[in-house]
Amino acid sequence: MNNRRTKWHYLLVLLLLSVINSVYADSQPEIVFESFWIMDAPDVARNTAGYGVIKNKGDTADTLINIRCDMAMVMLHKTAIQSGMAKMIHQSNSVIEAHAELLLAPMSFHLMFMAITPANFSEGKLITVQFEFEKSGVIEVNIPVKANNY
Amino acid sequence: MAEIIMLKKLVILLFISLLSVQISHAEGEELPLFSGVGGNFSAVDADGKAVEFSDFLDQVVVLSFGYTNCADICPFTLGYLTRLYSKLTEDEQKKVQVIFVTIDPEYDTPGHLKQFIGHFNSEFVGLSGSKEQIDYIVSLFQAQYQKLSVLNTVPTKNIRQVTPKLFSDESNGEGKASLYSHSVTLYLIDKSGFTRSLEYTGTPVDEFIRKIRGLINE
Repeated sequence: MNNRRTKWHYLLVLLLLSVINSVYADSQPEIVFESFWIMDAPDVARNTAGYGVIKNKGDTADTLINIRCDMAMVMLHKTAIQSGMAKMIHQSNSVIEAHAELLLAPMSFHLMFMAITPANFSEGKLITVQFEFEKSGVIEVNIPVKANNY
Repeated sequence: MAEIIMLKKLVILLFISLLSVQISHAEGEELPLFSGVGGNFSAVDADGKAVEFSDFLDQVVVLSFGYTNCADICPFTLGYLTRLYSKLTEDEQKKVQVIFVTIDPEYDTPGHLKQFIGHFNSEFVGLSGSKEQIDYIVSLFQAQYQKLSVLNTVPTKNIRQVTPKLFSDESNGEGKASLYSHSVTLYLIDKSGFTRSLEYTGTPVDEFIRKIRGLINE
């Protein structure tokens, strides 16, 4: 009788663990980078910008806490048009909610690469950028440099 | 019988008036004149030559302000203007001048500006000059700009880089680049030098071209 009860206890604990595990697994953020590109820089440019979409396909929000690039200083900026003036606003700790996305596009959010060597940011080059998220950790993305075809 | 004749006349009149509305619409809208926006000024072109805005009279001008270190809106605007310009016929292109006035003359020397503009379209004109000249042009067009200090105004507490690369690290003098907030208006100026429309990057290209063509044909 005691043996049967212990077995049931084991089964219950196992079931509970698997439920906890599945809940935990489902509540992870899932960060995906789509359509990223960097604008090719004129020979005399010191800065250029990168665009694309950062999607969070998971069930939990995540926060972009850091961006690194060996080729330049890089930051997340937003161009805001206020009273006819383009103002650049630095974005820190950007939260990407569950099942939401952060769209980086001209005249809006963008990766700002500063103090660049233009030859490194010419059409056809690949720039490695590391995005660090609070929960997802560091995600490395190779971003192609493309011509400005607006 | 008289009623039928009257009705016929009315229909013909209506047809003629509809036709004239169609024709005037096709010719483009009448653009207002923005008094107090724009005027003659002196500057230095991308070849280092002193120029006056009056040198561009007889051409329709699209004038914008910006600077070569701008990473987002200025390249985007010049890309947009390049696309717009390419949609004009060759004959129309000869009658239109795109002018990019730098708000950072200290960094954007004429040679520097020439290379930057050439990246987009070598037919476009880049204008620089002394700070006083640029400030005067900015005030003429009721535009604005404001210098931002990268190191002082952009907090880097949370956004670090693996290889610390700062403007102050540059030793060739070109490291003095600054960032600015600035007006983003595109001034559409007629052949007599009067500002006739204020546009923005993002104005539908066809709409902008219709206005340019209207001014070419005035």
